[in-house]
Amino acid sequence: MILTVLGFLLLTLLVIVTGAIVRTANLFAAVVLLSLFSLLMAANFFLLDAADVALTEAAVGAGISTVLMLAALALTAETEKTASRLKWVAAGTVTALTLVLLYATLSIPRMGDPSAPVHQHVAPWYLQNTPHLIDIPNVVSAILASFRGYDTLGEVFVVFTAGIGVLFMLGMRRFPAGKRRIPPPQTLGLKHHLVPRTVGTFILPFIILFGLYVQFHGEHGPGGGFQAGAIMAAAFILYALLEGERRALDIVPPRVLMLLLASGAFLYGAVGVMCMLLGGNFLDYNVLAADPVAGQHLGIMLVELGVGVSVTGVLLSIYHAFAKREPA
Amino acid sequence: MCLAVARALLGPGVYNRLLAANLFGTKTVLLLAVVAVLSDRPEFLDLALAYALINFIGVLAVLEFVQSRALRRRLEDGHRLEDSKPESGPAPTTDRPE
Repeated sequence: MILTVLGFLLLTLLVIVTGAIVRTANLFAAVVLLSLFSLLMAANFFLLDAADVALTEAAVGAGISTVLMLAALALTAETEKTASRLKWVAAGTVTALTLVLLYATLSIPRMGDPSAPVHQHVAPWYLQNTPHLIDIPNVVSAILASFRGYDTLGEVFVVFTAGIGVLFMLGMRRFPAGKRRIPPPQTLGLKHHLVPRTVGTFILPFIILFGLYVQFHGEHGPGGGFQAGAIMAAAFILYALLEGERRALDIVPPRVLMLLLASGAFLYGAVGVMCMLLGGNFLDYNVLAADPVAGQHLGIMLVELGVGVSVTGVLLSIYHAFAKREPA
Repeated sequence: MCLAVARALLGPGVYNRLLAANLFGTKTVLLLAVVAVLSDRPEFLDLALAYALINFIGVLAVLEFVQSRALRRRLEDGHRLEDSKPESGPAPTTDRPE
């Protein structure tokens, strides 16, 4: 009961915050509100028992996307250009779409209704068969990495493609040597501020440890490759914020980033091909070990590792691509 | 939490909003922890942990942004100064690295 009220409250706040994001013309305020939006969203996911999604939203929405938005904001103007007139076509389309969607919600089954189609289709099969086919407690990981391994492979390639696209557009240029006496401001970092540096250096190892925990504990609790990748990327971004771009790129040079970006996706595909070479189907992990269940465990672990490495590489490359550019 | 959201929406000024958003992050961490304990699923505490760690990065990013903006403005002023007086000294940045 209390959770329902809480969920209602959070959704109402979500609507209010969304309205404010659309209305505000100050982009910096919009970024701050967006991080608030992400927090609300994750709390909602959490109340709906979607722990894995909530963790993703936590890692990506609250951490990385705020950083990326600010990095982009540093390159552009700070206020939105105000639209001179209300665009009637756009307003009409949005209103019509809203009405259609509202009409559609009337026929949606009640939340948590056991007779809803979503609980009748394949979900019971997954819940029944995960214990003896794969034998891991987190059914979400089992579905993501094994039952629907193709979909996840597709997602990894989408992430990979997005990373390549951003790198093509923004580029990973070297620092212009000797052209400017003063380095671009963004390369400075916060190294002259004692408190952030001390606290940041203190929690950095814990973030990396937590990332590894999420990566390799994904079969047992909420988490997996995507979340772990985002958390690891957040850790390296934290280092870049603290010590400056240059030091961060010394530790993880662009070459290594490219390698990470490609090798994660490659590892995922290679596991699939390996299964075929051993006589199974593509991404059929049963053949990876003598015991099918052990094979599944091995396959899921390798695939999640591939996802994690790829996501880390992509997020870090995008961050560096933004941070290295000089403001226009 | 409502009060924090109200402050974030009303401002005044960006820094009130920022403080409100930060407060809201802390509140979310607490909320998640309480709900996880109330509904008897201690493994969901992981989420609260993730938030506690990740929130900090957002704050640091904002700090960095504000710092670099201030520096950039000073830099632009410096260039303007140099344009008007070609023989002026080095650009007025005090925290040049190394």
